[in-house]
Amino acid sequence: MAEQTLYEARGISKSYGSVVALEGVSLAVHAGEIVGLVGDNGAGKSTLVKVLSGAHAPDSGTLLLDGTERTWRSPHDALSAGIETLYQDSGLCPDLTVSGNVFLGRERLRRGLLGRLGFLDNAAMEREARENLEQAGIGFAGVRRTVNQFSGGQRQAVAIGRAVSWARKVIILDEPTNHLGARQSAEVLHVMERARERGLGVVFISHTLPHVLQVTDRVVVLRLGRVVADRPTSTFTPDSLLKVITGLEQAEPAA
Amino acid sequence: MTTASTSTRADVVAAISAPTGAPPGPDASPDRRTRLTAVLLRQDVVLLGVLVAMVLFFTALNPLFFSTSALANVLQDWAPIMLLGIGQTYVIVTAGIDLSVGSTLGLSGVSAALVIRSMTQSGTSPAMAIVTGVAVALAVGLAMGLLNALLVVRVRLVPFVATLATMGIGAGLTLVVTNGVQIAGGPREVITIGSTRFLSVLTAPLLVVLLVLAVAWVVLGMTRFGRWTYAIGSNSFAARGAGIGVSRHLVKVYALSGVLAALAGLFVYFRLGSGSPTSGQGLELPAIAAAVIGGTSLFGGSGRMSGTVLGALITTAVLSGLILIGVAPYWQQVVVGALIAAAVGLQQVSAVRARNGAGHG
Repeated sequence: MAEQTLYEARGISKSYGSVVALEGVSLAVHAGEIVGLVGDNGAGKSTLVKVLSGAHAPDSGTLLLDGTERTWRSPHDALSAGIETLYQDSGLCPDLTVSGNVFLGRERLRRGLLGRLGFLDNAAMEREARENLEQAGIGFAGVRRTVNQFSGGQRQAVAIGRAVSWARKVIILDEPTNHLGARQSAEVLHVMERARERGLGVVFISHTLPHVLQVTDRVVVLRLGRVVADRPTSTFTPDSLLKVITGLEQAEPAA
Repeated sequence: MTTASTSTRADVVAAISAPTGAPPGPDASPDRRTRLTAVLLRQDVVLLGVLVAMVLFFTALNPLFFSTSALANVLQDWAPIMLLGIGQTYVIVTAGIDLSVGSTLGLSGVSAALVIRSMTQSGTSPAMAIVTGVAVALAVGLAMGLLNALLVVRVRLVPFVATLATMGIGAGLTLVVTNGVQIAGGPREVITIGSTRFLSVLTAPLLVVLLVLAVAWVVLGMTRFGRWTYAIGSNSFAARGAGIGVSRHLVKVYALSGVLAALAGLFVYFRLGSGSPTSGQGLELPAIAAAVIGGTSLFGGSGRMSGTVLGALITTAVLSGLILIGVAPYWQQVVVGALIAAAVGLQQVSAVRARNGAGHG
């Protein structure tokens, strides 16, 4: 890879009691790259996501952001370092507007005395939300409408748009195309491509192998807590990827 | 930053806006705003219509209902329900409920009465005694609110159970400190403050209620505090994920409800000139009625203060009207309960219709 390594996990191990979830797992994502993370249920994908997003601390191993070793005490640490994570169940408030959701927890206040009293600057938030979502490739999503007026796919697009617009370095998407129709999935994949164009590092966790093969640059396969393959996407066929995931074919050691 | 090629963006725009049937493009927003305003207006217009219909109905049966003195009485009955309804709106918007407000009203009212009576009896000036009594009552309300918050946030009881428990505690404590008897014999300044009218219908306590209402209305609708209240009720998991201090915020909301209940207790105390141990009994019912009739969803995340104001007016009008047309007071709780059932039932029906109407996703 010619690009600079943006975010890297080296030799991550994590156990829950006697259950070993991850054993010496390494994963790197470069700027402007989409890395697919796949594996069967129980392979350790969710645990790795939690470690990468700062929700869980690893038992051993190191995390490097821009080549510097980092420790996350909470997801908030990772967020402020520019790493956004979108978990499986989209974290939107359905009763709030799109712009309210984009700015949730990061509300813009009015200037001066009113701002000090906590008055919201809704106009500024709507304007910026529209710009940010357009930049993320969501186009116009009606920033003044409440999220419960949107379909599942549209909500997911908004959730991803929010994460992408705040991510300064890395965005981790856990099953973002789950339960979505073909067209809606295409939207989501498009948003990921836009994030790549903007130079973000994208980690894409999915069970839907065609999506993974369509959009990623590299695929990392986990099986029983270990990395069993880490190769450019072009070296996989749908069939061979499935075999590596299930262990029917012995893959060569991680490159 | 790169900009999207026109064709791909158009695709996405089409995909995103197609199912809603709205024309895409940035120009669609003013149209949407007016539509939203129209919907909100419609809800309040419906409530206003119900209110007017009730006034006409009761006036037809008893012309006294539409008189200045009746209006003054209705406002006096409305004020404590309004105060409890404000707190209830905040709490219900967070997807909680506060059943303890009636008990808190009673406990803080008699606390003020006891403090003010004993201080004046031992020679303190009435003004000093009243100020102290008001402070004590507000502190009692705050304590009850914080107890609710403790049970909900720390002990993790569901709000219904937590506030059911404190409702019992508050009602019991009210009887303990009063021995179940009326606390009369305070300084006559109390009743003077509570009943001196100006502009035919206003009193000083009523002005305080209107001021509190205005502040609570603005805070819920226009500030970050209000936004977080909606966010927590809409999806507390998402709110926490977005870095909002959910527990901290819930503590403030339950404390607010307690303090507002204490204010309502003070209102009743100044109106009667004495502390009644039973004054708060059953008042959680009209408070909840005011909020849900006004359109606040018991599932949390939605509700408007304008709705609660109208809901409180409707509830009060029904209660006063029934008395004026000679219905036995025993029927009051029956009617308020039925109003709650009707309001929540209507919400459910329209929610189902809205879901079916969406027809996708």
